[in-house]
Amino acid sequence: MGEAPLRGLCAGAIHDCVRPRGGRVTDILGARTRVRGLPSSQALVTAAILVLFAILVIYPLLFLVAESLNVGDPQTFPPQDWGAGNYADLIDDWHVLANTAFVACCATVLAVAIGFLAAWTLTRTKLPGRAWLERLMELPYYMTPLVGALAWSILAAPRTGALNQLWHATGGPGDIVNIYSPLGIAWVMALFEGTVAFVMISAAMKSMDPSLEESARVLGAGKWRVMLTVTLPLVLPGVLGATVFVFAEMLGSFAAAFVLGIPARFVVITTAIWEAVQSFPPDYPRAAALGISLSGVMFATLGCYRLVIRRGSFATITGKAFRPRTMAMGRMAWVLFAGCLAYVVAAVFLPLAALLLTSFQRFATVILSESQFTLANYETALGFGAVRQALFNSLSLGAGVATIGVPLMVVLVWIVYRSKAPGHGLLEYVAMFPQAVPRTVFGLALLWAWLNIPVPIYGTLWLLALAYFTVLLPLGVRTLAGVVLQIDRSLEECARVCGASWGYQLRTVTVPLLRPGIVAAWLLVFIASVRELGVSIFLVGPNAKVIAPSIVSAWLSSSSELSAALALIQTASVFIALVVLFRATRRYSGELG
Amino acid sequence: MIEVSDLVVRYGDAIAVDRINFTVAPGEHVTLLGPSGCGKTTTLRSIAGLEEPSGGTIRIDGNTVYAATERRNIPAERRGVSMVFQSYAVWPHMSVADNVAYGLRVRKLPKAEIAEQVDRALGLVQMRAFASRSASLLSGGQQQRVALARAIAFSPSVLLFDEPLSNLDAKLRAEMRVELRELQRRLGVTSLYVTHDQEEALAISDRVSVMNVGRIEQVGTPQDIYNRPKTRFVADFVGSANLVEGKVRASNGPGPVTFDAAGGPSLQAWAAHPPRGDETHVAIRTAYIDFGAGANATNAKIRSRLFHGDFIQYIVDWPAGQLTIRRPPTEVLDEGAEVTLSFAAEHCVLLEG
Repeated sequence: MGEAPLRGLCAGAIHDCVRPRGGRVTDILGARTRVRGLPSSQALVTAAILVLFAILVIYPLLFLVAESLNVGDPQTFPPQDWGAGNYADLIDDWHVLANTAFVACCATVLAVAIGFLAAWTLTRTKLPGRAWLERLMELPYYMTPLVGALAWSILAAPRTGALNQLWHATGGPGDIVNIYSPLGIAWVMALFEGTVAFVMISAAMKSMDPSLEESARVLGAGKWRVMLTVTLPLVLPGVLGATVFVFAEMLGSFAAAFVLGIPARFVVITTAIWEAVQSFPPDYPRAAALGISLSGVMFATLGCYRLVIRRGSFATITGKAFRPRTMAMGRMAWVLFAGCLAYVVAAVFLPLAALLLTSFQRFATVILSESQFTLANYETALGFGAVRQALFNSLSLGAGVATIGVPLMVVLVWIVYRSKAPGHGLLEYVAMFPQAVPRTVFGLALLWAWLNIPVPIYGTLWLLALAYFTVLLPLGVRTLAGVVLQIDRSLEECARVCGASWGYQLRTVTVPLLRPGIVAAWLLVFIASVRELGVSIFLVGPNAKVIAPSIVSAWLSSSSELSAALALIQTASVFIALVVLFRATRRYSGELG
Repeated sequence: MIEVSDLVVRYGDAIAVDRINFTVAPGEHVTLLGPSGCGKTTTLRSIAGLEEPSGGTIRIDGNTVYAATERRNIPAERRGVSMVFQSYAVWPHMSVADNVAYGLRVRKLPKAEIAEQVDRALGLVQMRAFASRSASLLSGGQQQRVALARAIAFSPSVLLFDEPLSNLDAKLRAEMRVELRELQRRLGVTSLYVTHDQEEALAISDRVSVMNVGRIEQVGTPQDIYNRPKTRFVADFVGSANLVEGKVRASNGPGPVTFDAAGGPSLQAWAAHPPRGDETHVAIRTAYIDFGAGANATNAKIRSRLFHGDFIQYIVDWPAGQLTIRRPPTEVLDEGAEVTLSFAAEHCVLLEG
């Protein structure tokens, strides 16, 4: 969808611009109706994208708002009785709200602590193997919280967890760790959000001009004084921004709370929404009220984030990358190095090892003498029709959404940053809006909206594709925006002056120059599609299975061995895409750099 | 031919171009000269169709490409103009030949003709040997030539230059200036050139249009602008001049006038316009003041001397304050020396404002 009409538009525009050389300009100017051709094609596309967005996002959310105000029969739509009763009932769910706040706060503090320490270590100290470690630090982002939560439940479940088993084997009494606890959930969430905090904070640290610190040193301030009076105030907005952003992500996160919270009967808002939908009969009004409230809080939090970034951006606004001055840390360097490495081990290598071991066993155990090795889990995963179908669906959805979605995102990003067409500013908000709606809530909204619309795409892959495109819009747009902004404007203007229409210019100049960004966006969208859980879990049906929800249901039917095998297959496909991504970006940066 | 009338460009409340009028005759090379922020680039981009003006009309070869009253704004690609950008805008993902062929391909010319025109254009800028080279491997000067070849390849009716030489080093810039001038003469293409470099403007233009805060201060041949500046801004911005404050004595019509410099001598000056009587300044070019007897001879004392290489700059005290004088490096006088200075009446120009 989207692409075909676009092609048509471009072709038309190319046709218009062609004229015989030396022909009088009057020939083309004769037709007065086409005189304002430039704004119109861009304005048309802008309008089309806005309409598409309204259908994809606003419409389902309006359905959800309507349902949250339904105080009559929960199964009828549109509601017969309207009222705020569902919101008033949220008071009874106070423990769910408190749980959410508690987990989100703990996880945020931990994630920002990890991110800050790692960012400071890797940007400001002399450390062996820094570049290499920086790459490793980004890995947790590509492990999904779902995979992480599964792995950590294998590692640290009470009694059966690997760590506890080892503890028992050495004769220790009781359990040393229990991952099925609020702090356990916060720990897993923090592990996978820590890398986001790391990337954001190190960006802030890298964009600080080292001469600001050097001038303080020259004026006679000592190391610590410089740190307190110059470095910290300049970096603080970046840290604060990361904190608020991570907090918003935590509010909407689902997988860890779902996998680890359900055995402990510990419910947060996102899992409460899922339970309300799964209960019989489904309590859609309660789920809707919870979802709308959560979106409201998340929206406000992200609003704070924008405010923090805008007001405190004196250190980061130049957008220029500096090479920060690094300090020799002596023996401390090794401690810091070990700290960073420990993080990567806890977030990536330990979970992968646990999954790998479990996936080859009949019954999960770390006591190798007791284990029975088998390939049965992989045979089931790849041989069982439903599972194979889910895997195939996920990969083809990922490829399809990326292939059709990324060209659309390119046009959208170009209009946002380059066009003067009316409404182009609005498009930026449009593109970023899905970021402010928790996946679970958006999944619920789509479920409810398409159940009540007589277009039979609920329970099909089409709806999943639309949903993926919408929720991954911010990711693709952010990736592409960075590259579009690097293209010198005059490269495109020159094409126009040479006689190229907008479409021809996009095709011959913009897209070739954007190629590294397009490849990166394609792969990131593919990866994110393959691992998507929050939306998928509401939209899968008997004929539309995808991998992440299948992992969850394998786990729910208490086969941690099968789910480990599935999780590894999913992770492997993501990592293959990742390797391609790194190789491709390296090649392109070599080509154009 | 370019005709611009009453052109206004506004950004919000700020006025970048404030009702300017000028024409570029067929085959003529006109330069818009002014400091940064004077609106010269905005004017050029409006003519190219890259900026949407707020008022006025722009006509190219007799066709109205922009008219505020008709709400007509022809998009850039259908104006038949060509442009050389400050950053060269040479596409790094194409070869040199592909860059140059772009405008021809857009016009769907037959392959053979494209090859012929590309070859001709590359020959004109002496870049034939680089045709198959990737554009990302070129030096600044070579990119400049490719940008030029690309701009002339499809024989545009009008050529626009946006500070094309400002990114080159001084020596290369001086060479390219000569080449640009020759190329423009040879092709006889109507050109509008934007620069903030007054030497460049004087050296290569048929006419120069000096702009300041969105308005045109003066239009004329390079000699005209240099010898007969109309305003304090032009006298100061183009070349180097002494501005002397005082009062003009009544006179009819343009020609010789007497100017009473404040606190000092009466000067034999020259007015290009009939003096109104309220003019307050004359301009004397630093290069037109001699040491020795002559018209407007006055006693002065050398305050300081700066050796610049190509000239020596003296600052002297004279009855009306201080004067800056530039003499050839052969005329060496000591600081503190008493001298007589003189300058011709026609080089003491009464300014309109």
